[in-house]
Amino acid sequence: MKNAVSGLGLAPDAAMITFPIDLFVPGSDLAPLKARKNEFYDGLTQWKSDYAGSEGAAPMLSVEGATYEDALAKANHLYITNLWGDGLPVWPATRERVDWILRGTPLARAHRIGKFPPRGGVTTVETCAIALAMAGGRPEYLPVLIAAVDAFLDPESNAEQLQAASGSAFPVVIVNGPIAKQIRLNSGFGCLGPDPQQPAGASIGRALRLIQQNVGGALPGIGAMANYGGLRYTNVVFAEDEASLPDGWLPHATRRHGFARDTNSVSLAFANGGTNIRRRGAKKETPEEDATQGMYRMADFMRVPNMPGLIGYEKGTPGILMIPGVVANAMAALGWTQQSICEFLWEHSKIPQSNLKRAGATAWIEIDASAVTRASLALDPWPITAKPENFVLIVAGGGHPTNSWWLQGYSPRVLGRLIQVPETFEELLTEADRDLGCGSDYCRV
Amino acid sequence: MVKLEFFDPSGTLEVTQAHAPRLSSLAGSKIGFVSNEQWQAFRTLPLLKEMFEADYPGIRMLPIDTFPQGNANIGSEEVARLVRESGVDAVIIGNAA
Repeated sequence: MKNAVSGLGLAPDAAMITFPIDLFVPGSDLAPLKARKNEFYDGLTQWKSDYAGSEGAAPMLSVEGATYEDALAKANHLYITNLWGDGLPVWPATRERVDWILRGTPLARAHRIGKFPPRGGVTTVETCAIALAMAGGRPEYLPVLIAAVDAFLDPESNAEQLQAASGSAFPVVIVNGPIAKQIRLNSGFGCLGPDPQQPAGASIGRALRLIQQNVGGALPGIGAMANYGGLRYTNVVFAEDEASLPDGWLPHATRRHGFARDTNSVSLAFANGGTNIRRRGAKKETPEEDATQGMYRMADFMRVPNMPGLIGYEKGTPGILMIPGVVANAMAALGWTQQSICEFLWEHSKIPQSNLKRAGATAWIEIDASAVTRASLALDPWPITAKPENFVLIVAGGGHPTNSWWLQGYSPRVLGRLIQVPETFEELLTEADRDLGCGSDYCRV
Repeated sequence: MVKLEFFDPSGTLEVTQAHAPRLSSLAGSKIGFVSNEQWQAFRTLPLLKEMFEADYPGIRMLPIDTFPQGNANIGSEEVARLVRESGVDAVIIGNAA
C-alpha cells in the first residue's frame, strides 16, 4: 500500500487500515472489522502523513572494519538490515565499482529511465549501475540491463500490478543479436541456470531483481505478495541460439518486433512458472512421429487454466516455448515453420468448456478487462490465447534433442527494446577476455 | 581501519502531490466506496457502510456499487471522473490483499 501511493507521486504513507489475511478469506469472522471501526473514522478525519522526504542524489553509506574482509561483512550486514539484499553476498556498490560499470553505456549517469513501480523510485542509469555492481556485474552487461529496465517500465508492461501481485511473476529477458555471445550470455546447455563460462545472465537478472526490490519496493510480504516468488533470485535472462536457427527461421526479435537481424535487442515478458518437457520419443519412432508426438506433449503441458495468464490473452503471450537447435532443425527438415508450430500448439492446447466450468475458470474470464478475452468464452474448446502468433517460440537450450522448456506466461505484452552500446565497447570486451579468459567457443570446456 | 563507502541502492522518491485534506467531521458528509470486488468486499464494505450510518446519523453513504467495480476498472480515469462528479467528500477504497 505504501508502495502504491508513493508510486502515484504521493508521500509513501497513507490512511490505511490493515488486517491479517484471515479477514479476507471466504467465511471469515468480521468481528475484527467491527472492533477497529474507529480507525476508519480517524483515517478520514485525523490522519496525517509523517513522511519527511528523500529527494536528491543517491546518498553514500559507509562502514569500517579492522580488515577489508571485516568491512565487507559489515557492508553486507548493512544491506540486509536495510532490506536491500537478497540473502546472497553482494559487492558493495562503491563509487569506484559503479564508475567502472558506467563505462558500459553511452548514456549519462543521471539519464532518467523512469519511476519503478509500485514504489515509484526514480530509476536512472546510475541506479542500474549500482544494482549491477551489487550483483557482481561488469560494464559490458550494463547495456542489456538498461534495455531490460526500459522495457520493464513500459506502461504496457503492467509491471505495477505484476510487481505486487500474489501470482509470482518474474521477468524473462531474451537477448538477440551479437552482443549475447560478446558478453558471455548463455543460449545453450544450462542457459537458465548458473554457468561460470557464460555468467552474464545471472548478474543481469539479479541486478534487475535488486532494482525491483530496492527501487520498486517489491519486498516479499510487504510490497510483493507473491506466494512463492520462484525464479526470482536471478529472474530469467538468456539469449536465443541464433547460430542454430534453421534456414528460413527468423530470430525472435525480428519476428515479433521487426528488428533487423543482427541487431542487439531484448524482449521482455513475464512468466509465473517454468517446466521441463521431455519431448523425445522412447522407442523406434520415425522422424515424423518423433516431431508430432513431441508437439502433442508440449501442447498437453500448455492445456491448463492459467488464470493469471489472461492478462496477456489478447496482446501478450501464453508463454515462452524453448526448443533446442537440434530439434528446430529436425522439425524444419520435415517442413515445420515457426508459424506452423505455433498454429499446432494453439490448436492442440485448447481446453474443453466443461473443464473450464468445473474449475471455475469461466468466472475469471467473465471479469477480465479485455472484451476479446470475455468473448472467448463462446469458444469450445477454448483457446488458451487469442491467436497462434502470441506464442513466443525461441530456439535455445543445449544441443540435445530430449527436452524443451515451457515458461508459463503472465504477461500483457512482449516488449522489445534495442540495446545501445558505447563506442568503447570493444575495449570492454578485451578487458573481459583478460579478466575471465578468452570466452570464445574453443576455450569452453 | 578499512573504510568502505557505497551507494544507497534504493533510488529517490518524488512527491508530486499532497494527500487529500481530512474532513473536519463525518457528520453530514457524503462518503463513497471504490471496490475491486475482491477479498470478501461484498461482506466487508457493506458492514463498514452500516457502521458509519449507525455511528454518524445524517451521514450520506453511497451504495457500494455507485462506481464501476473490479480491478480492471477502479484505477481508470473514468472512475476518477465519476467520483469527482458525484460530489463525495471522501471515498473508502477496498480491498487490497
